[in-house]
Amino acid sequence: MREYKIVVLGSGGVGKSALTVQFVQCIFVEKYDPTIEDSYRKQVEVDGQQCMLEILDTAGTEQFTAMRDLYMKNGQGFVLVYSITAQSTFNDLQDLREQILRVKDTDDVPMVLVGNKCDLEEERVVGKDLGKSLANQFNCAFMETSAKAKVNVNDIFYDLVRQINKKSPEKKQKKPKKSLCVLL
Amino acid sequence: MLTIGTLANIKHILQKELFNSSGERLLSVVTVTKTFKKKDKRACYLCVLTTAPPVPVVTLCLVKQYEQRDSEYKRKRSWQLDEIKWIDGRNEQFETHEFDIQLEKLYKWYALNLHERQNFLAVLNRQIQKYVRGPRAEFRNVPQAWLSEKSPEKIAAGREGRAGNVTQKPTNSDDEEDEEEAQEFTALTDKEANELGKLFSECDFAIKDAEQFIEQLSKELHDLDGANMQSVLASEQKVLKMMEHIDNAITEADKFETRLDTYEDILGHVKETMEKIGGKNAMIEIANNNNIKLMKELNKVISQLDLPHSHQQALEDPDLKTAAGRKAAIAAAQCLQQAMNSDIDPALLRLEAVQDQRKRFEKWKQKFSTTVSRFLNNLFIHLGNEIGDMPLTTTELVLPNHSNVHRELTPYTELMHWSKAMDRKTYDGLMRVYTASLSKIYDRDIRNFFNLAKLQVSDKLRNSREDLDMSTSSRKSAVSTIPYGTLGINRDQWGPGVDSADRVRFDALLEKVLAELEPIALQEQLFCINFFQMDVISPTTKNTQTTLDMEKDKGVDMSQSFNASTASPTSASTDAGGVPQKRIDRQINEEVRKLMMGLFSCLEPELVSFIQSFERVDSFYSLYVLVRLTQHVMSAQDTHSFLSMTFASALVQVKRNFDRFMQQQLQSIKEAKLPKRSKAILPYVENFENFAQTAEGIFRKSDRRTDMEKWYLQLVNAIFEGISIHSQEHPKTPSQVVRMENYHHMYSLLAQLKVPGLDALKKEAKIRYNDALKAYVTQYFGRPLEKLNQFFEGVQQKVAQGVKETEISYQMAFSKQELRKVISQYPAREVKKGLENLYKKVEKHLCEEENLLQVVWHAMQEEFIAQYNYLEERIQKCYAGAMINLEFNIQDILAFFSDIARSH
Repeated sequence: MREYKIVVLGSGGVGKSALTVQFVQCIFVEKYDPTIEDSYRKQVEVDGQQCMLEILDTAGTEQFTAMRDLYMKNGQGFVLVYSITAQSTFNDLQDLREQILRVKDTDDVPMVLVGNKCDLEEERVVGKDLGKSLANQFNCAFMETSAKAKVNVNDIFYDLVRQINKKSPEKKQKKPKKSLCVLL
Repeated sequence: MLTIGTLANIKHILQKELFNSSGERLLSVVTVTKTFKKKDKRACYLCVLTTAPPVPVVTLCLVKQYEQRDSEYKRKRSWQLDEIKWIDGRNEQFETHEFDIQLEKLYKWYALNLHERQNFLAVLNRQIQKYVRGPRAEFRNVPQAWLSEKSPEKIAAGREGRAGNVTQKPTNSDDEEDEEEAQEFTALTDKEANELGKLFSECDFAIKDAEQFIEQLSKELHDLDGANMQSVLASEQKVLKMMEHIDNAITEADKFETRLDTYEDILGHVKETMEKIGGKNAMIEIANNNNIKLMKELNKVISQLDLPHSHQQALEDPDLKTAAGRKAAIAAAQCLQQAMNSDIDPALLRLEAVQDQRKRFEKWKQKFSTTVSRFLNNLFIHLGNEIGDMPLTTTELVLPNHSNVHRELTPYTELMHWSKAMDRKTYDGLMRVYTASLSKIYDRDIRNFFNLAKLQVSDKLRNSREDLDMSTSSRKSAVSTIPYGTLGINRDQWGPGVDSADRVRFDALLEKVLAELEPIALQEQLFCINFFQMDVISPTTKNTQTTLDMEKDKGVDMSQSFNASTASPTSASTDAGGVPQKRIDRQINEEVRKLMMGLFSCLEPELVSFIQSFERVDSFYSLYVLVRLTQHVMSAQDTHSFLSMTFASALVQVKRNFDRFMQQQLQSIKEAKLPKRSKAILPYVENFENFAQTAEGIFRKSDRRTDMEKWYLQLVNAIFEGISIHSQEHPKTPSQVVRMENYHHMYSLLAQLKVPGLDALKKEAKIRYNDALKAYVTQYFGRPLEKLNQFFEGVQQKVAQGVKETEISYQMAFSKQELRKVISQYPAREVKKGLENLYKKVEKHLCEEENLLQVVWHAMQEEFIAQYNYLEERIQKCYAGAMINLEFNIQDILAFFSDIARSH
C-alpha cells in the first residue's frame, strides 16, 4: 500500500488540528489547545486504491517556525490552512508557500489552499474570491471548509492524494516480460 | 374790432419785445381766444415764427399777455410745423371766426379779427408747403383762394406802393427782389436812417432836380464800381502774395518734416541700443544670480565637505582607550560620515575638488576604520581570553553572567554603528570576531553548565538507586532492558526506575536550567541588537554608504538607494499596509537569530542531550519535560527569539519522544503475554494504576492534558481489548473471573482518576464488569437443584403442548408422587453442603486483591433465591392444594449463605 506524507500548515488557531481530527477520527474538537506536533495515520480508499495517509498536524504558533523546513522537506503534499475570520492568517500563507517552493526547489508541489471555519459566515473577513485568486496565483486547488460542520473535510485529503498520484505516479513493478517464442 | 393797424402794431410789438432778442422773425400773428376753455377768455396770440437764414426753422408759437404786468408778453408754447396734423377753418365764409388746429391735441380757437385769421392761415399754409417734408397738414374748410393767393398783407402793400410816394420805390424794389423779404415790414436801422439822412442832406438839391440826383447817383455808382474793381485787383495781388506765403509755409513744413524724420531715426537707434542694453543688463543679472547661487552652492559644498582640523586629527590618530579620546573620535567619525553623506548635486560630484576631498575622506575613513577594527578586534579577543582564563565554578548550577563584557563594550557602540554604515566589511568582520570570541565562552559555559546538570541527574539517580540495588540486585541485572513502567510487562521485570520524589527533583532541575538560560540569552540578545544596531536594516551588499561616489556606479547606486529606502524602517512605517513592517520585523528577527545561533551554537544540542539524559534514568521523563518545556515555550513573549525557537524545537523533540513512549506502552499492551504464574489481575491492568496516577500527577494542571487524554483513550481501549483476549488464555482462572476482576479493577481505577475524557470508558468498564459477574454466576453457580429444574422444564413442555397447568398432576411423569420423589433428593443438609463446596471453588477462583468474593457470594445467593422462588411458584401453580413444598425455605437459604460466608 502506498504511503502519502501530508503536512498541514497554517497560522495558529485556524483549525489545522480540528480538520485533521475530523478527517481521521470524525470528531470535532471544540476546545483549542495549541498543537506541538501530532501525527496520524489513516487508511482510505481513493479512486479504488487503498492509501495510507500519514498526516502531520503541525504547530501554528510562531515559536515553532524553525521546524517548518524539516516538515517541508519530508512532506509530499501540503494543506495550507487559513481562517476566513482572520485576515492575517490569510496573509501569512504567501510566505509559507514561498518557503515550501524554496525547500522543495520546484514550482510544482501538491498543495491545497483551505479557508476553514466557513460555518462562521457572520464573522467572515476573507472573501471567497480572495481565496480563489490566491489559489490561482499558487496554481493549486482551493476549498472552503468547516471542520465543525464537516464541510469539504475529506475532499482536502482526497484531492491531495490525487495530486500526489498525478505528480508522481506509483512506480508499478514491471511485470517480467514473458519470453516470446521466436520462429527462426 | 381791431384794424390792420392794430394788427401791424401788435406784430411790431411782439417782434420787438419777444423775438428780436432770440433772432427770430415773426411772419404772421392772429389774436385769438380759446373756445375750448370757457373760463379763460383772455386774448392770446398765435404766431408763425422763423429763425434767421441760412437755415430757417419755422415754428408755431402761442404768446400770452399777462394782465397783472400789462406790458409783458410771454411765450407760452411752441410747435414745429410738422407737429400740425390738420387745420379746420370750420366754414369757407369769410365771417367765420373759429378755426381748429390738431396738434398733440385739438385746439379750438376764436379769432378776434377776420383778416388776421385769413392772413395767419395763408401764411401758415405757405410755410407748411415750403418747409415740411413728408405728410403735410391738411387744410379743411378754408377758402381755396387763401391757400394759393398771395397774402392779403402783400396785396395791401402793393396797393399802398402804387398809391404811395416815389421815395418808397427803392424799398419797394428791394422788396421785390426777394418775395419773402418784401412781405415783411422792416424798420430802418439807425445806421441806415443816418446814411439816408446824410444822403438826403448831401443831395437836398435832389428834391428839386431828380435828374441831377440820378446822375449823381449813377456817377457814384460808377465810382463805387471802379473802387470795387480796384479792390478786386488789389486783392489778387494779396492772394498771390498769400500763395507765396503758403508755398513758403509748405517748404518750411517739408524741411521740418525731414528734420523730424532724422530725429525719429535717431530715436530708433536709441531704442535699439536701449533694448540691447536692457538685454545685457538681464544677462548680467542672471549671471550675477548664477554667481550668487554658485557661491551659495560652493559654500554649502565646502561647509558640508569641510572637516575641522581637530576632527582630522582625531581620525588620524584616535585614542580609543580613554573616554575623552573616544568621545572626540566618535564625534569626528560622525562628522566624517555626515560629510560623506552630504546632500550634494550629482553634477557637483564631478568637481575635482569634491572628488579630491572624497578621496581624502576615503583615506581618513579607511584609516580610522582600520584603527577601530584593529582596536575592537583586539578588545573582543582580549575579553574573550580574559573570561576564558577565569576558573569555572564547578559546584553550583549557575550560568555565568557576562554583563561585564557588555559594560566594557557599550562605550564603543557608536563606533560600531559607524562602521556598520561606513565600512560594512569591517562591521561584518568585527561581528564575526565578536561571535567567535564570545561563542567560545558561551560554548564552554553551556557545556559546563549542562555537564553539571547531567551530573546532578545521575547523582540523584545513584543515591536513589542504591537501596533499590540492594533489594533487587539478584533479579534485576538480567531483565533491566525492559524500561521501567512498561504497561504490558509485569512489574518485576522492569528495569530500574525512579519514584515520584525523584521526578519532582528532575523537574525542578529542568526548571532551574531553563530559568538560568533565559536571562543570559536575553541579555546577550539585547546587547547585540543595540551594539550591532540590528534593529535598523541597511543595505548589506554595498560596503560603504556614501553619496560622494562618482557616476560610474550610478546604476548600482540607484538600486542601492532604492533598496535602502524600501528597507529602512522609516519608509516602511509610512507604508499603508502592515505587511512590509511585518516583513522587516521578520528580517530583523532572522538576523538577530542568526547571530544568536552563532553565539550559542551548542545550546540546542546540549539542551537536547541534557533532556535525553533523563531518558536513561526515567522513562516517564517525556511527560514532565513536555509539561515543563511547554510552559516556557507557550508563555514566551518574544515568540520569534532565538531561545524561544530553540526551546520550541526541543519541545517538538520531546513531544515526539512522548508520543513514542505512549506508542510503546500501547504496543506493550497489545503484545502482552501472560506469565505462567500469573495472577488474576493482568499486568497492564495492574500497571495502569501506577501509570495513570503518575501521569495525572504530572498533567493534572497542565495545558497539555489534551495530549495525555488522547493517549488515555487509546490505552484504555487497548486494555479492554487485551482483557477480552487474555481472559481466554488464562491457565487456571475461568475467563469470566478474569474479565470480572480486571474490568472491576479498571472501573474502580477510572472512577478514582476522574478524568473527564474517560467517563464513557468508565461506564463501559462497569457494564463489562457486571456482564462478567453475571456470566460467572450463571456458569458456576449453575442449578444446584438440577433435577427439580429438569422436572419443571418437562412440566413447561407439557404446558406448551396445551396441557392445562391444573391438569399437569394427572400426567404420569409429572404426578405428585414423582414431584415428591424429586424434592426428597434435596434435603436442606445436602443443599448446604453443596453450597459449601461451591464457596470453596469460588474462593479458589477469585483473587484476594479485588476482594470480590462477598460480591460474588451475594450474587449467588440472589441467584439461588430467584431459582427457589421460581420453583415454589411453579409448584403453587401446577400442584395447588397438594401441600407440596421444598424441604427448606428462604430463611434457610439466607442462613446457609451467611453461615458459609462467616465460617471462612
